[in-house]
Amino acid sequence: MDTNLIVAGVGGQGSILVSHVIAEAAIRADNDANVRVGETFGAAMRGGAVASHVRVGKVYGPLVGRGQADLILAMEPLEGLRVGVEYLAPGGIAILNTEPVQPVDAKIGAVNYPSLPEIVDSLAALGKAVVTIDAGKLALEAGSDKTLSVVMLGAAFASKVLPFAEEDVREALKERLPAKILDINLKAFALGKQAYLAATSGVAQTKS
Amino acid sequence: MSTPIMQQAGRKVLLMGNEAIARGAIEAGLELMAAYPGTPSSEICEALIGAAKENNYYVEWSTNEKVAFEVATGASLVGARSLVAMKNAGLNVAMDTFMTIPYGGTKGGMVVVVADDPDAHYSSNEQDTRFAAVYAEIPCLEPMDQQEAKDMTKAAFEISEALELPVFIRSVSRISHASGDVKLGAAADPRHGLGFNKHYKLPYRWNVYGPPGALHKHQWLHEQLPKAAAMANSSRFNTLDLVPGAKTGILCTGLAAAYGKEAVDRLQLDGKVSFLKLGFLFPLPEEMIRKLLQSVEEVLIVEEGDPVVEGLVRSLAKEIAPGVKIYGKSYNPLLKPYGELNTDIVANALAELAGVARPAERNAALRENLRGKVIPRSSTLCAGCSHLASYSALKEALRRFKGNHIVNGDIGCYEQGGYGIFSAASTANAEDAKKYPINSPYETLDTIYVMGSGIGLAQGQRQAGYEEGKVVAVAGDSTFFHATLPAIVNAAYNRADITLLIFDNHWTCMTGHQPNPNTGKTSLAEDGTRFDIAAAVRALGVEFVTTVDAYNRSEAVESIAAALSFAGPAVVILQGECQLQIQRRTKKGPARTSVDRDSCNGCMTCVRLGCPAIIYSTAEKKASIDAISCTDCTLCGQVCPQKAIKQEELR
Repeated sequence: MDTNLIVAGVGGQGSILVSHVIAEAAIRADNDANVRVGETFGAAMRGGAVASHVRVGKVYGPLVGRGQADLILAMEPLEGLRVGVEYLAPGGIAILNTEPVQPVDAKIGAVNYPSLPEIVDSLAALGKAVVTIDAGKLALEAGSDKTLSVVMLGAAFASKVLPFAEEDVREALKERLPAKILDINLKAFALGKQAYLAATSGVAQTKS
Repeated sequence: MSTPIMQQAGRKVLLMGNEAIARGAIEAGLELMAAYPGTPSSEICEALIGAAKENNYYVEWSTNEKVAFEVATGASLVGARSLVAMKNAGLNVAMDTFMTIPYGGTKGGMVVVVADDPDAHYSSNEQDTRFAAVYAEIPCLEPMDQQEAKDMTKAAFEISEALELPVFIRSVSRISHASGDVKLGAAADPRHGLGFNKHYKLPYRWNVYGPPGALHKHQWLHEQLPKAAAMANSSRFNTLDLVPGAKTGILCTGLAAAYGKEAVDRLQLDGKVSFLKLGFLFPLPEEMIRKLLQSVEEVLIVEEGDPVVEGLVRSLAKEIAPGVKIYGKSYNPLLKPYGELNTDIVANALAELAGVARPAERNAALRENLRGKVIPRSSTLCAGCSHLASYSALKEALRRFKGNHIVNGDIGCYEQGGYGIFSAASTANAEDAKKYPINSPYETLDTIYVMGSGIGLAQGQRQAGYEEGKVVAVAGDSTFFHATLPAIVNAAYNRADITLLIFDNHWTCMTGHQPNPNTGKTSLAEDGTRFDIAAAVRALGVEFVTTVDAYNRSEAVESIAAALSFAGPAVVILQGECQLQIQRRTKKGPARTSVDRDSCNGCMTCVRLGCPAIIYSTAEKKASIDAISCTDCTLCGQVCPQKAIKQEELR
């Protein structure tokens, strides 16, 4: 089975790092699988929309097909919607960080930023489940607001969509992160995982 | 943590396409690398800079692509293996040298990597540079994934030495900036067996005018092409899966082969269509193409960019298989010659040709409906960026003069001065054409094309007699060294009445903060000469030259206004280091800038600075500051008419 997911966010939030950690962990888990990460970033060094496609399995190209993402992992709600509207599969899960990063368009009042319930409902209509996480709060709890993306990675891992074991992702984090910030990121990962499990236990998040 | 490209041989690792190219060069025993930054190619040189300490090669950021190409050629002529990398448009800058070097050929393996940008994610155009390889008559390779990007780069050095020609590798954004699993080979030590032989195999080998001259050397070049075609026919980067009796064939080059394979899988056409994948595509591997064309009735040709291979195959088919119907991007189009491909697009084209059902898009109507909820995220300059200060001062200065002013832009972060606000409705009527917009810095630039073009355009506008308003050009410091010098000499020589603003932020920022001659550091962060732009401009013959701190708003406005009043070429250098670089050096806490809500009357003067750290509430009609992103640059406080922005202890 192929795995297709998209990590979305705003430049500087760590989407690219997380997509690379996921891909690296997938290589560790299955040395025969093809792994691809397709990114769009560039014009804006900071603050632009970033979407990183991650694909594992019998895959060749770097891009997820329209309506074929098993998972949308969004560091920012609007970017989750932007990507989800195009790519979320009917059986797919969207995990959203709840804290918006207002685009300049909304800041100057040219357009209104959609409300979080509106974003959640839109994605829920397209996919199987939508899970919201206050990742910024958990990142601070872990020790730095910069661990936000790894909190979200923990949540993604808990969704069971990712094709590897926890050991693989820990090794990949070790590979990609400087040693001095590894511990707070492992803590962030654990907090994200717990938050996902807490959000999905009991309450039926799954559309019937 | 280790440098991704220097991991152990035999390991399978995740590499970005550009890193894979860099690794391939290391496995070939690279001796010299030169490049000018250009997205999406920059990480090739970045990766080689990162691995320079562990390897024995020379690497530099050159001042432009032509210089980089010449540096790499020089290395090859004395026998070194050299690599030069650039973006699509960069090749245009190197074109003069690029077209002529193949006449004399090369000695040490020389590989030219050009990263094209289908869909123009990061570029002024979508040009397909494979035409240039055909034009220059040198071998052209195109990888389908990151593994091939590495393997091809290594092989390209060997091909180059066998043919004594530069070898062209055409990458695209979705190879260069995408990542994939790559199995590493062994790094090779540079050979360093350098020497110079002016008659190496041919008289006056490296002197195109030396007897027997250019015509003879062009003849030699043509004698190499059949040898190159033979290599293409047996290249491991070309594979033909011929299905006996299949009516339909698909021919894919480079990355398009990845989409083609997925399309065949998705449509369950595996074993039902013949598939030719080309990685070594010029000269055409004619034998392989003959086998495909003579076994099918119809062929779909799929390639990123223009129908380059399609054109070549069509002309070959006319000779060897005139009955085969060819589909692609020119005649019988099933694909568009603009934008980029993906599996969905290729699957649709193949489904149409093969007469099978297209996979239905799930939730299509619902998706269309929900698209309306997605608001744009305009590209902006960074919080506190000195370009915001410079544009604000330029707008204020221009407002003092009547008329329909023209501001010519250039390439760099400051090109965002012409991106507009994505959510603002754009009207294109004659009345608006005469208006001078003051709403945001993102609506400042009237023309933007390519590196260094603004200052030349400005001269033409003025010299043609345009007097309805002021004529201005802007350029960054890296662009200044890259492409504006002859144009500045021209302005001084011909007394063009224009104003040139140089936005000096000390780094080549948009491509990832590479150092340039104005940074005072070399590529390896060693101390270099810090160039004095003002002295250079004076030496080029410009009399009016002022240097000003971009963040000193009143001084910046006065300096620009004085330059606009000056009859003749006038240059203002607006200095302000890139805020991201400042923030990286000096870690800061939350900003000390804030808005006194009682004094703020909602006039939006600060909002019009376009700084992403300024937030405006339309409901409350009040501005506020995002303390996380604000850099305390003081600019908003300087422009606020109510003095409502508090910046105690700053400046």
